[in-house]
Amino acid sequence: MSNEWEIVIGLEVHVQLHTRAKVFASASWGFGKEPNEQVDPVVLGLPGTLPVVNREAVEKSILFGLVVDAEIPEQCAWDRKNYFYPDNPKNYQLTQKDFPVTMGGKVEIELPGAARNIMGEHKWIRIHHAHLEEDVGKLSHSGSGSLVDYNRAGVPLLEIVTEPDLRSAAEASAFLNALVVKLTQAGVADCDMEKGQLRCDANVSVRRMGDTQLGTRTETKNLNSISGVRDCIIYESRRQIAQIEAGHKITQETRGWNAEMSRGYVLRDKEDAHDYRYFPDPDIPTLKISRETVNRLKKHVPEAPFDRQRRYIEKLNLPYTAASVLIADKALADWFETAVAAHPTNAAGIANWAANDLLRELSAQSGTEVGSDETPAVKISLDSCLIKPAQLAGLVKLTDEGVISKQQAKEVFTEMFSTGKDALAIVEAKGLRQNSDTGELEKIVAEVIADPAVAKSIAEYRAGNEKAINALKGPIMKRTQGKANPVMIDQLLRKLLG
Amino acid sequence: MAEEIYQLSATEISSRLAAGKLTSRAVVEALIVRYHQLNKKIGAFTSLDEKDVLAQADASDARRKAGKVLSPLDGIPVAIKENIAVKGQPLTCSSKMLANLVSPYDAHVVEALKSAGAIIYGRLNMDEFAMGSSTENSAIQKTFNPWDLACIPGGSSGGSAASLASGLVPLALGSDTGGSIRQPASHCGIVGMKPTYGLVSRFGLVAFASSLDQIGPMARTIADCELLLKVLATPDARDMTCFDSTQRSQLPVATEKSLRIGIPKGLLGKGVGAEVAAATQAAIDFYKSKGATIVEVDLPSSELAVPTYYVVATAEASSNLARYDGVRYGHRSANAKTPIEMMTNSRSEGFGPEVKRRILLGTFVLSAGYADAYYVRALRARSKIRAEHLAALEKVDMILSPTVPTPAFKVGEKVSDPLQLYLEDIFTIPANLAGLPALSVPCGKSGHLPVGFHLVGAPLSESKLFAAAQLFESAHSFANQQPTL
Amino acid sequence: MAKGFDIDHLAKLARLNLTAEEKVLYSNQLTHVLTYFETLAKADLPVNSDVALVVTEKALRSDEPGMSLGSDAVTKIAPASHDGQISVPRVVDDES
Repeated sequence: MSNEWEIVIGLEVHVQLHTRAKVFASASWGFGKEPNEQVDPVVLGLPGTLPVVNREAVEKSILFGLVVDAEIPEQCAWDRKNYFYPDNPKNYQLTQKDFPVTMGGKVEIELPGAARNIMGEHKWIRIHHAHLEEDVGKLSHSGSGSLVDYNRAGVPLLEIVTEPDLRSAAEASAFLNALVVKLTQAGVADCDMEKGQLRCDANVSVRRMGDTQLGTRTETKNLNSISGVRDCIIYESRRQIAQIEAGHKITQETRGWNAEMSRGYVLRDKEDAHDYRYFPDPDIPTLKISRETVNRLKKHVPEAPFDRQRRYIEKLNLPYTAASVLIADKALADWFETAVAAHPTNAAGIANWAANDLLRELSAQSGTEVGSDETPAVKISLDSCLIKPAQLAGLVKLTDEGVISKQQAKEVFTEMFSTGKDALAIVEAKGLRQNSDTGELEKIVAEVIADPAVAKSIAEYRAGNEKAINALKGPIMKRTQGKANPVMIDQLLRKLLG
Repeated sequence: MAEEIYQLSATEISSRLAAGKLTSRAVVEALIVRYHQLNKKIGAFTSLDEKDVLAQADASDARRKAGKVLSPLDGIPVAIKENIAVKGQPLTCSSKMLANLVSPYDAHVVEALKSAGAIIYGRLNMDEFAMGSSTENSAIQKTFNPWDLACIPGGSSGGSAASLASGLVPLALGSDTGGSIRQPASHCGIVGMKPTYGLVSRFGLVAFASSLDQIGPMARTIADCELLLKVLATPDARDMTCFDSTQRSQLPVATEKSLRIGIPKGLLGKGVGAEVAAATQAAIDFYKSKGATIVEVDLPSSELAVPTYYVVATAEASSNLARYDGVRYGHRSANAKTPIEMMTNSRSEGFGPEVKRRILLGTFVLSAGYADAYYVRALRARSKIRAEHLAALEKVDMILSPTVPTPAFKVGEKVSDPLQLYLEDIFTIPANLAGLPALSVPCGKSGHLPVGFHLVGAPLSESKLFAAAQLFESAHSFANQQPTL
Repeated sequence: MAKGFDIDHLAKLARLNLTAEEKVLYSNQLTHVLTYFETLAKADLPVNSDVALVVTEKALRSDEPGMSLGSDAVTKIAPASHDGQISVPRVVDDES
């Protein structure tokens, strides 16, 4: 099937922006409040109330545009989308139809590699535009009736609309992952999918390989997880292919998705399509966006994650795996770079600690699962981390200089993580300093060589079996309680057996 | 000059209060007596909380005694149209739909009046959701013209105009979308101004057509009207279409040079009653005699004004009134099985015929396949009308016309013909479409019914309009005229 | 221009029930009004409209959370409520 058919996907991603107040009203918003506690006269659409646009919501939208290299138009404007529904307080939604806040743009994505430590293919997905609108309330259903909570009504939503550039469920997942990393790193949005902060509509069509015309598309609404998007695309593309192969036509329709059953269903067909009667909102004048604002916000655009990954791999010689882990969390990557600045000669060594041991300890501390499917943006807090970047650099330096062994370093790291003490202080206090006293070590090595129990290994070594020398190292380590410098042991053994 | 308290202008009350010759309580008590004598007959007020207004009067008198007078309006009653929000008071818009709604907040203008110490005095009848020119579309009650109780007072601010003409209150707030302040002002022989769009905050004014609506002052004299506007016209960040202080400071300065008045070409031809035409001509002649230059101005797109207005206004209204669905507040139908059925039934039961008619028209002009032919063309026509007016107002200080082509008609006379009623607004509509300030000034009678003339000026030229109107008022006896009741 | 004027469709879009008499009345009246609007179709108009107001960022609101009405006030004015939420008849499958 995959050889014969091409799947064409465009996404409309709705992201709740990171603001304190709502987009057209001053009521606060946030997760976990009692119903209708975050509602003011404007949110409720009481007669006589008027919307006033929240500056932060506009600036976060512009920042998004800058993050994806979009054009920020000189002006943007809001329109009314008219439709009746109990969760829509004014029975029109304020949105941007003709003059959105950002135009164009592109997002770099990375597809999964053949293995975890192999980087996959990179691709650019074009953004058509993004517009700033208001969220609606929430309806819940009980036996006899339905209940409406308007806490979510008026929450700033940025709708990010892609071009139909995605070609598989995997690409759609990779796009959403990359988008979430960009949005969170720039502070545009938190994208917590469990709290419904990112929702997605998927436009899917299929065509035979080589066809240049797009097939009839369907739109599946309100997908609220990345796995939901992936499953829905797989389901919907298979359904469409089966339809066409059975000789049926695809109907242009709006569909829903049942995540529990992993099945899509028809919401309404084209004939029932809404007539939204869009027109410019007369309450909100056209907004001029100054270039001063755009230039000021440009300074808040962080380095693009995949640019950073390339820099880590090419300039700092990091392995792909460590680089990809670090760039997923801006704070962690920044932390890592501060550490590298303190000990520039072994970035890979520092990366290894930061991407593995440190991240593991931090996530164990906060109880989050790192890098799971639904938390592509690693959510760990470095605020409570007792180890400072320069201290980790100090630890790596001690191992690099042979002062402690890698084995000892693990022990020191554990202590550093729980106390925040310097590596050197721990080494001194525990007497862990690796034994590098040649005279004393030479004596021990000589004693071990003299032990008849190792005579066989010595003979093999002398006969040309290089590996046989390792059998002597264990007893030496044992006698020095692990404090001996392994490099020195090796050198001494070769000298004395020489 | 008038001697009874109810006949006094606000300016006169203000100076008597300042001189200690009168108390706010005495004013309010006199008006309450008048209210009991006349309101049933006139139907201007929909409600009046006597205890509350007396308490407000006492508070004002106490402030005065303590030397803490807030403004020249301190202690003076101002009545409020039913579509302007007053915290704790009904906000019915004279509709069954909002019969039970109590506003949990104050409109900007009400806050401004309260901080000026004015007494928020009772609520005034109107056409339902301000849609109408006769106040016959009120679901609460009928209002009658104080000069002839068989006639309509005009509308939609019919309660406001009738209350002033019958001496029930010295000052009132109206709202004007296509003439709703000026047309009833003309029919009732009082002064009414629609300010420049953006001069007065719309926060707390229930929207009919947001791009046209303005709250404005209504009074019996030009000085009173100006006094009230001064309090209303302050910046408000809650209305993005309201001018900020920088924009306000760009007010045109009154010039010493002689007045130039524009008269639209072919003005007194089509549809203007003979006595209205005569009164208007007399006003033109008066200004000429005072040294004004009278210039004919060409406004060829005026014939587009009525259709343009009704397309824009009903389109916006169809969306503005969508929120009245019985879900969050207001009338909810008792019988419905689904939310959509409930919303549909609530709207069908809650709205009157004119509101339904305009919602249907507005829905049509925005609907798929028709929006380009109607709504989009209307916006383009609006551009043209505005450009023509602004160009004319480069050459003249103001444009003079009748306010309404004919005097107040009989109650029930035009209810069956909406188009005939829509044409009542032919002179007043362009100022709304172009966002310009406009004023109706009493200038005579047609039979026993008052008529007014209409002045339209450049943006923010309110003070120029008031000055010109004052010149006329001072030389005539139409101000503060009151019918025998 | 008034061709295609479908009173049933409009009533549905506007969420209004109309009786048979109302349908006839409104259809006639609106057709009459729309005929009068023919002048608009014939008029020579500018290509674009420039009626939209324009504001700068000064008109925007700062991101300061303000007062909420609170669910008591919300449910007090609501025609029906339950546990701080506004209740409506049960939503059936996508009525919207």
